[in-house]
Amino acid sequence: MMSLIQIEFFKLRKQKRTFYALGAIFLIELIVFVIAYFQGGAILDALLSTLKDTFYFSGKLLNGNLLTYMLLNSLWFHIPLILMIVISGSITTEYQDKTLQAVFLQPVSKWKFILSKYIVGIVFTIVVVLLLAITSFSFSYLFFGKGDLVVYLGTLNFFDSKDAFQRLVLAFASGTVSMVFFSVLSLTLGIFFRESIKTWIVAALFLIVFNLLSQLDMPFLAMNTWFLPKLNNTWQYFFYFDIPWIQIILHLLILCFYIFITLIIGVRIFQKRDIG
Amino acid sequence: MKNRILIFIFLLVSYLSFSQEIDNDLLFIKERLDSVVSYTADIDLETDISFINMPRKKAEVAYSKGEDLKFSSDDFVMLPKRGLDFSLGELFKYSFITVLRGKKNIDGIDHKVLNIIPTDRKADFSIATLYLDLEKKRISVAEISTKKNGTYLISLQYEKDKNVLPNLVEVSFEIERLTIPLNFMGKGAKIDRKELKKDTAKEGKIYLFISNYKIFKN
Repeated sequence: MMSLIQIEFFKLRKQKRTFYALGAIFLIELIVFVIAYFQGGAILDALLSTLKDTFYFSGKLLNGNLLTYMLLNSLWFHIPLILMIVISGSITTEYQDKTLQAVFLQPVSKWKFILSKYIVGIVFTIVVVLLLAITSFSFSYLFFGKGDLVVYLGTLNFFDSKDAFQRLVLAFASGTVSMVFFSVLSLTLGIFFRESIKTWIVAALFLIVFNLLSQLDMPFLAMNTWFLPKLNNTWQYFFYFDIPWIQIILHLLILCFYIFITLIIGVRIFQKRDIG
Repeated sequence: MKNRILIFIFLLVSYLSFSQEIDNDLLFIKERLDSVVSYTADIDLETDISFINMPRKKAEVAYSKGEDLKFSSDDFVMLPKRGLDFSLGELFKYSFITVLRGKKNIDGIDHKVLNIIPTDRKADFSIATLYLDLEKKRISVAEISTKKNGTYLISLQYEKDKNVLPNLVEVSFEIERLTIPLNFMGKGAKIDRKELKKDTAKEGKIYLFISNYKIFKN
């Protein structure tokens, strides 16, 4: 099993697509920085315009913490899309290039093979989010400095710099679980469709529908808790003034359950289907 | 006949205006406040506004008579534009008249209630109601109607009887609802249409806990 995992890591490293994907993520980061640099002040001015008649403001809100928060917001659509392309590609290219058939000429267990792909996909996702977090924090703080974070979630919530940093770290950690779900889902879709383009289209469609449905309020609280598109926004809960810990833990546990189910479905399909 | 009535009203208004005197108790309190040339102080700020959540903030203020209040802080702070002038210098900056409105008991203490009406157009308030604690010779409450920034109410609490400047100031004001640019809406943010249809103004409060006064007097 370990050797299978090592081989999968080797394949991932050798794929140009992997590095294009990482490059794309950093490019998006750069674009967000540029937009924030030129427009961030104007957005904040617009946000606080109604308060300016009543208050004096001291200190700057366009800082590294706000930039990292903006990156978090901007990237939860783009990152899963990029991850889904890379990770689903790890199986669809094997189908298309017929390398799967070559692999199974060897005495390799089918479930171990596909599980190693899932494991590598999950590890890759965690590494990407970790890289994103490290670069977001370091470049944001380097160019924009530290400061209080302001977030609008029904109310205007202000957080001290230290508190903001902790919340952002937790949001990245929580977001990682969502990213893992999308990665696992894309691999399962790849196993199902066996074709890159089809898989990417369906994966992108999933992502769009998830984003649209995340705004939908279900009639019952329990339905909201179990409604998958809603769970992917769990990272946002860290920016409520009082963190709803129980809700967050519950959501993450349910999301882990969905990840497990999606993974099992993928393994079962792969096991049952002919590799040809 | 119409002209006679107009002349009578003009004479009456002129008489009343010029015959108004400034209340002696207020003059005494004003003198006490005027003795403060400058001060610096540390402020802890607490906001109580329904749509703003902000942790307690620290700031330093520096006041010099005739100059704008200066403040500094390591954090991002929102300080109310009104109510930071603890010496209430703005009220007495231009000529004014006072009108006695009677007495009112606040927290078991009898207060003299006065209206201050500016007679100079440059004043940025149209009327102020002051509640004077005659025993301790200071202002406990001030309700000020400004020309541009609505009405605000300042409640002042003092640590010691002899203190001229307050240690706790509660500023209540009307504040307009936030208008949020769409590109700043968090993913979880919802628009409550019913709430939006309600009146746009809300009441907000800011509590200023003032310590470490360094006061320079005449």
